[in-house]
Amino acid sequence: MAPAPTLMQNPPGQTSSGCSPTGCPMVRKLLPYLYIVPLMAFIAVFTYIPIVTSINLSFREWDFLSPTMPFVGLENYKLLLSSTEFWNSLRVTALFAAFSVPLRLGLALLIASWLTSDRFETRLLRGAFFLPSVTSTVSIAVVFSWVFATDYGVANELLKRIGVDKIPWLQDPRIALWVLILVNTWKQIGYDIVIYIAGLQAIPDELYDAASVDGGGRFHVFRRITLPLVMPTTYFLLVISVIEAFQVFTIVSVMTHGGPASATDMLVNMLYRVGFVLFDIGTGSALAVLLFIILIALALIKSRVIGRKVHYEA
Amino acid sequence: MKLENPLRSAAALIVGLVFLSPALYSIWLSFQTADAYYAGGLEFTLDNYGRAVGQYHFARYLFNSVFVSGIVTLGGIAMATLAAYAFARFTFRGSDLLFGLTIATLMIPSHISLIPNYLTLARVGLLDSYAGLILPPMASAFATFFLRQYIRGIPRSLDEAAYMDGASSLQVLTRVIVPLARPAILSMALYIFINEWNSYIWPLVAIGKSDLYTLQVGLARLYKINPGEDLIDWPLVMAASTISILPVLLGFALVERHLVRGITMGAVK
Repeated sequence: MAPAPTLMQNPPGQTSSGCSPTGCPMVRKLLPYLYIVPLMAFIAVFTYIPIVTSINLSFREWDFLSPTMPFVGLENYKLLLSSTEFWNSLRVTALFAAFSVPLRLGLALLIASWLTSDRFETRLLRGAFFLPSVTSTVSIAVVFSWVFATDYGVANELLKRIGVDKIPWLQDPRIALWVLILVNTWKQIGYDIVIYIAGLQAIPDELYDAASVDGGGRFHVFRRITLPLVMPTTYFLLVISVIEAFQVFTIVSVMTHGGPASATDMLVNMLYRVGFVLFDIGTGSALAVLLFIILIALALIKSRVIGRKVHYEA
Repeated sequence: MKLENPLRSAAALIVGLVFLSPALYSIWLSFQTADAYYAGGLEFTLDNYGRAVGQYHFARYLFNSVFVSGIVTLGGIAMATLAAYAFARFTFRGSDLLFGLTIATLMIPSHISLIPNYLTLARVGLLDSYAGLILPPMASAFATFFLRQYIRGIPRSLDEAAYMDGASSLQVLTRVIVPLARPAILSMALYIFINEWNSYIWPLVAIGKSDLYTLQVGLARLYKINPGEDLIDWPLVMAASTISILPVLLGFALVERHLVRGITMGAVK
């Protein structure tokens, strides 16, 4: 991949064409570029040029097939911003993020603070919690589709035993999104826990010792020492989990298709539908650009608001 | 690692089992007959696996997933290691900018490139091909970042000693850096492999021919094969699901420590 063998074949001591024993100055200067060229080429072709392409396509009308793609200015954006579909998607996605992120981080911090020791059973539990985060989301979505199936699903069979009526978990627009939040939390929490454990273990023991000498209770110690000192970890997890929430697709696609009645139609699911089911490339691209802008804006807002409260000293 | 308190261990075991119970129960279900499940009975069978592998082509999907994830991992690690080496050891014009551009891709939502990448591949005729599955996800900015940090921690004096002995910079990479960075490279290889194994939206978009389905696409399709029918063949679906998670679970059991260390190092440092 990196065609550098010219240098290797230079026997030490060869000095023709300005080459020193360690290589030609020109070649030496170019070498690092040769090493990064493959990566840079892939990133350019599959990440950066696509951003430009998306922006370009978002101002055009196209269906994949017609030979022309006329420029329509901001029409696609106007269409999106005046559609209930887009606002519904944005609302559903924001709801998902607003509830799933605090749930994930809160639970993860609680569980992590139990699991900081290196005993056998804590390692076992850490492994158990971590397992879903490396398991395929499609499998998890399929398994939970069965758990929450209205007929013959596990949850309803359990409810039947205690005499509760069937609940149409994934068919009721008021419930389906909560089921997805639950499934997403189940899948992702192990990752949060592992990151929190690393953050907690980085807090020096002396701080806890000092606090207990001062007679601080457990809750007091947690609030005054643990919470502020894991702030950088919390900030990191907050950023990535919000970004993740805005990109949820698989569980929606497998479990609900965005239904019932668009109650779980999150942004990427809408993007997939507009782009690859309706083949409306212009509107799909406009939606992708809006998603991009939303995420960049969120990242900026978060770094301004929360960045100041982060304690980097441990 | 010691077993101090059997009671605590038992409690931890129970908590872990309850947490994982949906997955464990689904594996159990994959060994039951559908008739028995719907009648509320128990009947052990391996037939679900036979049907998933044979009639529903999961052997083929398994091969596709192994092949695609394997090549993405090899290519991704090769590119990331080369670039990480350059960023860690050489100062060259634009290095900060190019490294910044690499890291910035971690913050860019990948879905913005979904439609353009589809168009790119359509233009060069690579939709519905292994290359179309493999090329777009191959560059890993995270692995590059991680390996660069790791390589910076390797003393430069080792490089210099090798240069003194007449090694070229590529030889320094292959003979000094790569052997010393092996744990980090292994962690990142796993990270890339698991990500690729589990990826769904890109294979869903890029592949129309069922010959090239990965396990994830095949499983999602199998689950939806009879959406109109009220009774889904859950044991069959769970057999397929088990096939699609088992390789990763086995790999995970073998190298859990490496993986967890890799992920936490990337996040906390």
